[in-house]
Formats: sequence, structure tokens, C-alpha cells
Amino acid sequence: MSIAGDLIRGHTDTIILAHLYRQDSYGYEINRDIQKKTQGMYEFKEATLYTAVRRLEQNGCITSYWGDESTGARRRYYAITELGRQTYLGLIKDWENARALIDKLIYVEGI
Amino acid sequence: MEAKLRAYVEALFEQAPKTRKAYELKEEMIQNLIEKFRDLCAEGKTEDVAYNIAISSIGDTSELIAGLSEPMAALTPEQQKKKNLYAGLTALAVVLYIVSVIPLIALSVRGDEILGLAIMLGLVAVATGLIIFISMTKPKYHKAEDTMVEEFKEWKHTKDERNEALKSVNSAVWMLTVVAYLIISLGTGAWHITWVIFLIGIAVQQVVRAIFQIKK
Repeated sequence: MSIAGDLIRGHTDTIILAHLYRQDSYGYEINRDIQKKTQGMYEFKEATLYTAVRRLEQNGCITSYWGDESTGARRRYYAITELGRQTYLGLIKDWENARALIDKLIYVEGI
Repeated sequence: MEAKLRAYVEALFEQAPKTRKAYELKEEMIQNLIEKFRDLCAEGKTEDVAYNIAISSIGDTSELIAGLSEPMAALTPEQQKKKNLYAGLTALAVVLYIVSVIPLIALSVRGDEILGLAIMLGLVAVATGLIIFISMTKPKYHKAEDTMVEEFKEWKHTKDERNEALKSVNSAVWMLTVVAYLIISLGTGAWHITWVIFLIGIAVQQVVRAIFQIKK
């Protein structure tokens, strides 16, 4: 888990952008969705998530706004921007290229 | 238990700068942790277990909080250029004020005070015009850092901007009044009546104030 965690951490931005590509969302919902998709095998640390989100917002890939919940405290929602969509597509392409290369390099025949 | 979660996060942010961004981030984290805590409780975990899971999911916040102390982006080259332009214009206005007495002194030696005075007043008018131009077109106060104090300063600055413009126009009106008084008085020698010009000056000032009020 911890080694896989390191591998996944490099794709934090891609994962967040992928989630926001589908819909606007807030911190906990992003994490809960990741947990659900991985059957509880992975989730971001709070600190990792907010560091990434802050960075993405500074880069202009996402924007944020405060929702108006009728009950309870207000949530901070994030939405992807056009730049974010382009960045996402670029990151996916990078990943596919890297994966193709890594697949060629790491396997030993006969094991 | 939720208060305990809040207290825990508050303690994490103790070293963070007192900016609006930091405050919002803290509230966001607390809000999300509480929601997570409630979900865990709803799954049947005891409050203590849920609290521990929530706390341990925070991870290392040192990088996150250090990031909050980063200064805002420096001035863009374009902003810097503008800033230099305004500094140059202000300096030019001050130079004009200082230089404006030279023709008066030089020409009064030749007994030509009126021309000297006229040139001086012309220079003063140009300098005052420059200052009015600067105060009316200068961009808003640039926040040095994203703290509440800076935000207040920006708000105050925007509010004062109109007053600044009004003040500049007023000082120009008075300057011109004095100039007109001196020129007309020296030219006509009708000192017994030219004081009326000051009343006209007051009237003009009131009209200017009225115009500003209406525009507001």
C-alpha cells in the first residue's frame, strides 16, 4: 500500500482533475469517491489533497466557490476550467506513453 | 467529539499566517473532517475509533501550511512599468512646482513681475493637472500580501480614491483663484473689488463638490 501509494501520489493532479471533469465537487467527496472506486484500498491524505487542490487553483486549472447548503456548514466546491481540461488530457497522454514504456522495460520473460 | 476535531485542526494551523486563505482552508478541512467523522459513525464505528481514523487521515500538513506563507506573486512587468510611469509623473510634477518660481524671480529683476507670475501659474497649473491625472487614473492599491489587514487597506483605498480626486480638484481651484486674484489685481489695480474672486472660488468649489456627490 505504501509503495503503491508513492506510485499513485505522482498522479494526484490527474485523479483530482478526472473527478472534477465529471462534476463539481468538494474535498471530502473527492476522497470518498476515490475510496469507493478503489474498494477502500486508497485515499488521499487530507494534506496531500489540499496541497494539490491549492496548487491546481493557483495554476488556473480549477476554480472554487462556496456552496450554499441549507443545513450545516457551507462546503467549498471546486470546478474544472478549460485550462484544467486541457491539462488533464495532456496528463492522460503522458501517462499512457509512460505506461507503454515502463511495460516494455520492467518485465522479465519466464517469471 | 466534533469540537475535539475542530480543536485538533485549529492547533495544526497555529503557525499558519492569519490570512483569509489560511482561515478558509482551515474551515474547509474542519468541515470535511466532520463529515468524514459522521460517515464513519454512521458505518457503525465508535466515536473514538472514528475520531482516530479521521485524525490519522490528515497526514503531514507541514508543506501545506508552509505554502500559505508564500508571498503573493510579485508585480508583473506591466504593473512594474506602470508603477515607474506614475513615479516619473509625480517627480515631474514636483519638479515643475519647484522650478515655477524661477521665471518669477528672473523676470522681476527686469521689472516684469506680471509675466513672471503668469508663467509661474502656468507651470503650477500643469503640475497640479498632472497630480490630478495621477490620482484619478492610478490603479487600485496593490495588496502586498493576502491578509485581512491588506484587504482592509485596499477597501479603504478605493473608498478614499474619490476623496483624493476631490481634494486635488479643490486645491487646483484654490490655486487658480489666487492666481487670478493676483493677476487681475496687479493688472487693473482694482484691489478694492477683486476680493470678489475669492467668493467665486468658493462657489466653484461647492459646484465641484456637488458634481462629485451626484456622480456618486
